[in-house]
Amino acid sequence: MKRIVFVLLLLGLIGQGVFAQGISMYGYGRTYWGGFMQHDGEYSILQNTLDLRFDHRGSRTSLFANPVVYYYPDQDLDILLRQAYLDLHFDSMDIRLGKQQIIWGKADGVFITDILSPKDLREFLLPDFEEIRLGINALKTSYYRGNSTYEFVWMPVFQKGLMPSDTSRWAPRKPGFLAGAEYDYSNAEVEKKFENSQFAFRYSLLASAADIELVAAYVWDELPTNHVYRTIDQETNQMTGLIVRPEHHRLGVFGGSFSTTKGGFVIRGEGAYYTGKHFNTTESAHIGGTVRRDYLHYLAGVEYILWGATISGQLIQETILNHDDYIMQDQFRNTATFLISKDYRRETIRLELFTYYGIDDNDALIRPKMTYDFADGFEILAGANIFLGDGVGYFGQFEKNDMIYVKVKYNF
Amino acid sequence: MRPTNIFLTAILSMLFIIPALAQYDMTAQEVVEAAYHRPTGEDMTAELEMILINRQGDRRVREIKQFGKDFGDVEKTIMFFLSPADVRNTSFMNWSYDEAKDDDQWIYLPALKRVRRISGDSKSDYFMGSDFTYDDLGDRHSEDDEHTILRLEEIDGVESYVIESIPKDKDYMYSRTVTWIAKDKWIALKREFYDDRGEYLKTLRVKEYDNIQGYWTILHSEMENEQRQHRTVMQFKNLEYDTGVSENMFTERMMTRGL
Repeated sequence: MKRIVFVLLLLGLIGQGVFAQGISMYGYGRTYWGGFMQHDGEYSILQNTLDLRFDHRGSRTSLFANPVVYYYPDQDLDILLRQAYLDLHFDSMDIRLGKQQIIWGKADGVFITDILSPKDLREFLLPDFEEIRLGINALKTSYYRGNSTYEFVWMPVFQKGLMPSDTSRWAPRKPGFLAGAEYDYSNAEVEKKFENSQFAFRYSLLASAADIELVAAYVWDELPTNHVYRTIDQETNQMTGLIVRPEHHRLGVFGGSFSTTKGGFVIRGEGAYYTGKHFNTTESAHIGGTVRRDYLHYLAGVEYILWGATISGQLIQETILNHDDYIMQDQFRNTATFLISKDYRRETIRLELFTYYGIDDNDALIRPKMTYDFADGFEILAGANIFLGDGVGYFGQFEKNDMIYVKVKYNF
Repeated sequence: MRPTNIFLTAILSMLFIIPALAQYDMTAQEVVEAAYHRPTGEDMTAELEMILINRQGDRRVREIKQFGKDFGDVEKTIMFFLSPADVRNTSFMNWSYDEAKDDDQWIYLPALKRVRRISGDSKSDYFMGSDFTYDDLGDRHSEDDEHTILRLEEIDGVESYVIESIPKDKDYMYSRTVTWIAKDKWIALKREFYDDRGEYLKTLRVKEYDNIQGYWTILHSEMENEQRQHRTVMQFKNLEYDTGVSENMFTERMMTRGL
């Protein structure tokens, strides 16, 4: 309680200082309540959020900070600095230094070339994408020439994403072969030194014919590879257990995306080629129980407006190149997304349905949502997250986590 | 018909037609094109306030800063939404072509931090919940409709051509519009819209216009939607022409950076 009062007082003082210095302050306050439809009506989330943005702009420089305070009734305050960066503006160039979200690509709800900002998946894919993406410390230099942008990004320190704890309802199901395994995290961290930096480059063009992006990156795989080692009893030569050592590995990424319009349709495509991805195998001869393979991830999407409703669909495929049967992951993984949304009553009411569908496992996440603008800047949302599948698949593993929720949000 | 009768019929017809033609010194197409090609400067900057008023009198206000520039074969416009708070930092860009080609449109949503291409075909959508569609706000090409001068009429003390326009595209959202175009100034002072069933839908009235830097400019207009009992007031402030708006204003950089 004291901590809450302290934070509120501090924010009040900051607010006063802000106005005195000509800094813009804006953001939102939100209450978010959700309940599982199973689990005996257990609350899935009771969250209050204060998201503040401070923005100071000069002719050549600007400063931006985005602290966020999350309050949960049964937990301590969670305070994070989502972004805090300084911009330097030149005639044909901008430099951004600090903690920032970097978002690339054209896909909706799918991360193909959008790989620089790590993700907060503690509540799976359910939070707003702005909240899923974490800020990353980076130096981003953008050079502009006409409608072209050349971006160079240096990220000196690897930042991994946030995953749910093992006891969370959103903890991903562990593969069967890891049941009972012991975890050794000694290799799980990436040392903070220059040779472990990440680098990325993007070229983007906004043109009448099409918008295109080309991307190249040398990064760390955000998801650690679970290297599996058997412990063997020296006397009996029998396996006595498994040790799992999670470890991040380097990835080379080359890809791009495009977006164009044709006859009322918006057509999108995105793809990336990854080198050096590790996959678990069933072969005991493979050291650490993994092999390296190159990997493709790509999608095609289309959007159309029909009778005032926006309808959008995407087909996504992941492919492991030179696949062998001993690789545990299937060679192809196919997913689809579907979105339909429509506004009513002068955009005061929006109905939306977004669906992920796992084609191979026949599982899905269905997300109906209604938003009502009670007044300018004040909105009430109600929705549900429905997981379908027989306990298998990326979405189906959470089939018991169906939930309904309400959010009340005030933007200021 | 005997040749003599044909000749007499033709002469008699001309006696009626020539005076009718002589009544208007321009054709309907010429009037509409004069309005379409009314000088609007090489570039412009303005602040726009839109007030949406429902039947209960509740008001919702939108504030926008916009820039426009004529590049010759393309006109580019960029809008930065300043309020309400939930659309702050959203930006919208439109490239409109002289040739018969759909506009290119993009929107930047701060929550997604992406510039997103949208269909230029969505011109019948209402702009930010107002009574103006995107097409109402843009310049409709004069060759998209068949135009007829109905009469000359004085409106607000200004003599105007009353033009009926019927779209060539039968699927267009309006079955017809009737426009009062001020003679010599070529401003549409009033426009009535009829929906796709031919029913009266809404009326646009220009409440204030002025000559700014040599350009006749609409400063205050109101759209009253009779069917939905809703009204939108649109007011321009701090409007300036030919200030040398940079071509770099109409780029992805500006959309993401904002003002």
